[in-house]
Amino acid sequence: MEYESLLGKRGRRASDQVIWDLRISELLNDILGKEKDEYLGALYLEQLDEKDAAVFRLNVFQDMLRKDVYDEVVNFVEKIRECMRILELEKEAYEQHKPGLHLDAALEYIEALESFHEKLSSVKIGSEGLKHFLAYLNSIIESETFRSMKERAYEAKAAREKIKVRVKIIGDKIKVWSYDDGEDLASFIEALFARFKGSGQVEEVKYHRTAGEMSHIHAAILEGAFGFFKEEYNILRKFSEDFPSIIDEGVRDFSKEAEFYISYVKFMRRIEEKGYPFVIPRFTTDGSIKVKGFYSPLLAKIGKAIPNDIETDGEKRIFTITGMNGGGKTTFSISFGQLSYLSKLGVPVPASEAMLPFFSSIMTAFPIEEDKGEELSRLEHDVVRAWNILKSANDSSLVITNELFSTTTSEEGFQLAELFLGELNKKRAYCLYVTFIPKVASLSYVISLVAMPSREEPLRPSYKILPGSPPAEYMAIRIAAKYQLVYEKLKGMLG
Amino acid sequence: MIQFDLLRLGKATRISIADDVRTDLELDKIVAVASNGDRLIAETWMNVLLLGETYEEDVRYRQDAVKDALAHRETVLKMYSISGEVLDRLRREVFFFRTDDPAVVVHEASRGIEIFADALEELITLLRSTPRFSSKAFSDLMESLFANIDEKFIFSAREVAKIFSFDQGIDFSVKLGKYNSLIDPILLMPKEKGSLLSKIFSVGKEYTYKLDPRDEAGAQILYDIERWVLSQVASTILKAYNHIKEFFEELRRQLSFYVGAMNLNDFFDKLGLPRTYAEFEQGRFSFENLHCLSLSISRSGKTVPYSLEIQKDGSFAVLISGANRGGKTTFIKAVGQALLLARSGLFVPAESFYIPNPGAVYTHFLREEERTLSYGKFEEEVKRFRGFVGSLKKGDFVIMDESFSTTNQLEASVVAENVVSALIDSGISVFYVTFLQDFIYKFVTHYGDKIVLLVPERLEDGTRTYRLMRGSLQPGYAMDLWKKLHNSG
Repeated sequence: MEYESLLGKRGRRASDQVIWDLRISELLNDILGKEKDEYLGALYLEQLDEKDAAVFRLNVFQDMLRKDVYDEVVNFVEKIRECMRILELEKEAYEQHKPGLHLDAALEYIEALESFHEKLSSVKIGSEGLKHFLAYLNSIIESETFRSMKERAYEAKAAREKIKVRVKIIGDKIKVWSYDDGEDLASFIEALFARFKGSGQVEEVKYHRTAGEMSHIHAAILEGAFGFFKEEYNILRKFSEDFPSIIDEGVRDFSKEAEFYISYVKFMRRIEEKGYPFVIPRFTTDGSIKVKGFYSPLLAKIGKAIPNDIETDGEKRIFTITGMNGGGKTTFSISFGQLSYLSKLGVPVPASEAMLPFFSSIMTAFPIEEDKGEELSRLEHDVVRAWNILKSANDSSLVITNELFSTTTSEEGFQLAELFLGELNKKRAYCLYVTFIPKVASLSYVISLVAMPSREEPLRPSYKILPGSPPAEYMAIRIAAKYQLVYEKLKGMLG
Repeated sequence: MIQFDLLRLGKATRISIADDVRTDLELDKIVAVASNGDRLIAETWMNVLLLGETYEEDVRYRQDAVKDALAHRETVLKMYSISGEVLDRLRREVFFFRTDDPAVVVHEASRGIEIFADALEELITLLRSTPRFSSKAFSDLMESLFANIDEKFIFSAREVAKIFSFDQGIDFSVKLGKYNSLIDPILLMPKEKGSLLSKIFSVGKEYTYKLDPRDEAGAQILYDIERWVLSQVASTILKAYNHIKEFFEELRRQLSFYVGAMNLNDFFDKLGLPRTYAEFEQGRFSFENLHCLSLSISRSGKTVPYSLEIQKDGSFAVLISGANRGGKTTFIKAVGQALLLARSGLFVPAESFYIPNPGAVYTHFLREEERTLSYGKFEEEVKRFRGFVGSLKKGDFVIMDESFSTTNQLEASVVAENVVSALIDSGISVFYVTFLQDFIYKFVTHYGDKIVLLVPERLEDGTRTYRLMRGSLQPGYAMDLWKKLHNSG
């Protein structure tokens, strides 16, 4: 039987622009940790082209989100890795240790396969990916080679357990005898001094070994031991000779690919511990979006994310986001961009409910830091980016922009926005347009979202982004009023 | 197992406001005399004096032991010095300079065990030549030691110490585990040289590996294996070492209380102070010629003694009022100190001392820095009082010196009345130096014979005697005086 990948079809690398603007690298650091595995790192940067490929992975996740399945997969992968580690060790080991290492790799492998097969068979699995692997595993376990390897491994283990010797170390000499009998010194001491009660506090002497457990000295003791246990030694040695290779290639691939799922579930658990949910996204076909309680995982891990909703029946597809400064507009758009990005990886997304189209592409246009101060060139740059976006946008593209056309007069900014958004609307593309120009929100084909102030403290943001018209009065003016810096008061004071 | 308990303190710890009581009742002065510079005695004494809860039978148990210790003075002192010397020797000769190195631990601990063996031998020899103790505390100790420590034990302990001296090498059994590594090392008793068994072993069936003298790495590994094997026994031998050490520490700690009693006894002799042990009698709180010990210590001489007789079931309050510098605070200190000495099982500087029960003593003294009227200070005071209310139990004593005087008399009286009434009604007795006239008047009227009012004695010619005498309420006295002055005018 052939092994089939647990990842299903592969995708294409996302553009550097999107990776940068949506802070995908930061997200990856959280998912994979600082010492990113290269293979996994590359995998997370691939965006899938087909909806079915995403669904294939999401189905595997559906299984993996169950604790019993997850625990078993993690366990299995760890065991296979351990097995590989032992086999690596064997290559460099002393002759006296080699048959032992080989035997333990085999024992670990046999146990891993059998228990994983048994546990996975007893739980109901829904995904094609895991079902296929279970069948593949079955074919290995049933094979003649596996059965005889198992039998011989147990025999060798039993032989090894019979070996027990008495050793004396004195000066630079080691003496070994076959063990006959002897009085346990620790028990003698324990019994002798039991008459002193003590306070019950036990001070454990913990010794951290400074030398490895496989040296020429250990080998020498083994050599002595094998001299007294020749038959047992032969059984051990012969096992290695008869079963030189242990791990199946398909099993090796599976354990590597499963890491993709494991790493993501671990990441989810860390965020969920802070009280934020993940959900398996469903892909709509009628153009509608209904995403509830989505948030920034980067803020969630420090417990500071405020969940928001976004919704459309598919008729209007352009969202403008306006409202108070520092009110969470950018976080809102990046979070939705990340969520869309993750849905295109075929992984669960940070939200409580997620129904959205399978976007064919995600495009972004965020301010470019290094161009600050060169206003004209940045405006030009914005126009070029807008045009590039328009060129490739279609009815399933997602476009996210942040303060595009902001380095000109607000009237000109509005006109540019109207042109850009009008075109996008014609193409039926999706867009989140973050802007400080309230007039953009009044375009007939847009859904206006507003960053709202806190109800309790109107001078502070609530980080809630809600449907509505941009506010008539600005926060900055209220703050100024508080310090009498409004026209009438100023006049009166200066009067 | 060796068991002894010379103090019977149970699980009780110091009372919650130990520091306040220590300061208010000037315990440091008393402890300084008892300890005579010995820090262990000082610590033990503080612990016993400030004991939270104790029972009549435990007090009697300690009283007997104190009497016994005074009678067997030389033996007790010798035991105290043997246990002190053994601990000194450990400090000088045993160094656990690497607690993570089993070889060091095993070697040093076995050196310690050798020292213990010497001390135990000395202790047993001493006790064998001592006449019998009469108190339960000391007889139990002696019995338990004789039952557990004999020549055979001392011999075995010395043998164990010998096995772990450096040049002997180590014997152990070992099995093969994962990766063919060595597992389950069990340190074995060495086979005796020249024994039949060891001869059989040395014939033929033996594998020997000798380290190349240039193999430094090998030597390191060999040492690592040795430490690994020893680590299986290091905790056991360290435990044995610690337990024996704890035995000596505990013995010395408990004995220190009695050595302190001897020192205080000598001081009483020097000053000619009376000495009595507390007696328990329901419904009686009385003493005759009680001296304030801390004042006697400060003055290096006898002070004016106090006597008091209260025959009353249940709780009572003694209110002390009247002119300053009349010995009021000295009186409550004397009472507090005597109560603490009594419940510790120690002798009290009085001709007689009767109490209904060994209740705990709590103090609430006005602090010098609080002698101003301020609601901030008042809040502090109230907070301080509130701090120990939760620990009070029926039969306890609260000793108060000018409590609640950081606010005006009117307010303070109301608070004092609330507080003291609650205490009395809860079975807690109170000694209270106070000038709060509203309080005194209302309180005495309400509680009648549960209250004793004491005032400084003044002779006809106005001389102060520093004695206290029973006083009585004199309502309308000021009005009378006013009228008298008015009339005389």
